[in-house]
Amino acid sequence: MAGGGAPVPESGGRGGKKKRPLDAVINVVPAIDLLACTISFLLFTAVWTQISRLQVQTGGTGGPASADEKRQIQVTVTLGDRGMTLSTSAGVAVEIPALGKSPEGQPVQDLKTLSQKLKQIKNEYPDQSALTVAAEDGILYVDLVRVIDAAVGVGLPAVSVTAAG
Amino acid sequence: MPIVLPGRRPAKRFEGSKVVGGKMQQGHKSVNADLNVVPMVDMMTMLVIFLLMQFSATGEILYMQKDIKLPDAQHGQTIEVAPVVAISASQIVVSGQKVAEVAEVERGDDFAIPGLEEKLRDEKKRWDFIHQNDPDREKNWKGDVNIQADQKVPFRILKRVMYTAGQAGYFNVNFATLDQSNVAAVAKAD
Repeated sequence: MAGGGAPVPESGGRGGKKKRPLDAVINVVPAIDLLACTISFLLFTAVWTQISRLQVQTGGTGGPASADEKRQIQVTVTLGDRGMTLSTSAGVAVEIPALGKSPEGQPVQDLKTLSQKLKQIKNEYPDQSALTVAAEDGILYVDLVRVIDAAVGVGLPAVSVTAAG
Repeated sequence: MPIVLPGRRPAKRFEGSKVVGGKMQQGHKSVNADLNVVPMVDMMTMLVIFLLMQFSATGEILYMQKDIKLPDAQHGQTIEVAPVVAISASQIVVSGQKVAEVAEVERGDDFAIPGLEEKLRDEKKRWDFIHQNDPDREKNWKGDVNIQADQKVPFRILKRVMYTAGQAGYFNVNFATLDQSNVAAVAKAD
């Protein structure tokens, strides 16, 4: 390679013969051409914004209709202006009040507590995968997404969204 | 043009001069210098590796719009090709075509959004036409729709969009979010 690496020592041994240099020059120009083309292609086709999706079902219970349902309970998170209510068909009903109001007047939901409560339910019912989020009309998309994200994070990926009330 | 060694050398017109040209003569060394291209090849290789890691075979499904700020999510899945319903503070757009004004939707008594339903039905017809020779067409229909809404869009708009999508046969709603899983993984490692 041009200019690259230390020279390879010449072979000795037969004193009579003329020593030939063992340095081979590798033509790197085609490699550079190939790399330049690849870089151009990849730069043109690069996707810089990483967008993901949170899958939800509209209405219904969101749970799989199979024998697993027997080992599952109905978990509902009701999102409102004053906070969240976590209720299950097993009789649990927990109020999670909002932490306060944002400068825009929107409630700041206590997602940490919600995650902890959902984790407890998941530990109690390991087969549980369904959750229903019932949101009031004034709830913002960002809050809805955060609640769904928290549910998926604790292992409840079958989320369905309905309107509260 | 040959690559020459750096340093003082006579101008072309003095090259033949015994007086000026001779003073600057530095022996009979070759004027061609080898250019070390190894660092450049290294850098290009690293660039290729970085860009290959960023590469997405599906391409850009959702385009970021000025008036739509997406929320962050840490547990999102890879986005798939499906009709995109973009909801900004002022309008609802499907595949780049405006179908309704948000203010009108809020004022309206009807739960469904007629323009959106019509457009989504067209999208479904197109899908049916493309898959007309597929014997498992009904089974392969997943009914996915991507909703790209601004952070501050209220649920009263979202529920109407979701209801309308359901009316048009799209029951699997995907909420578009900015993927923060890498950020979360780094924070966890720290």
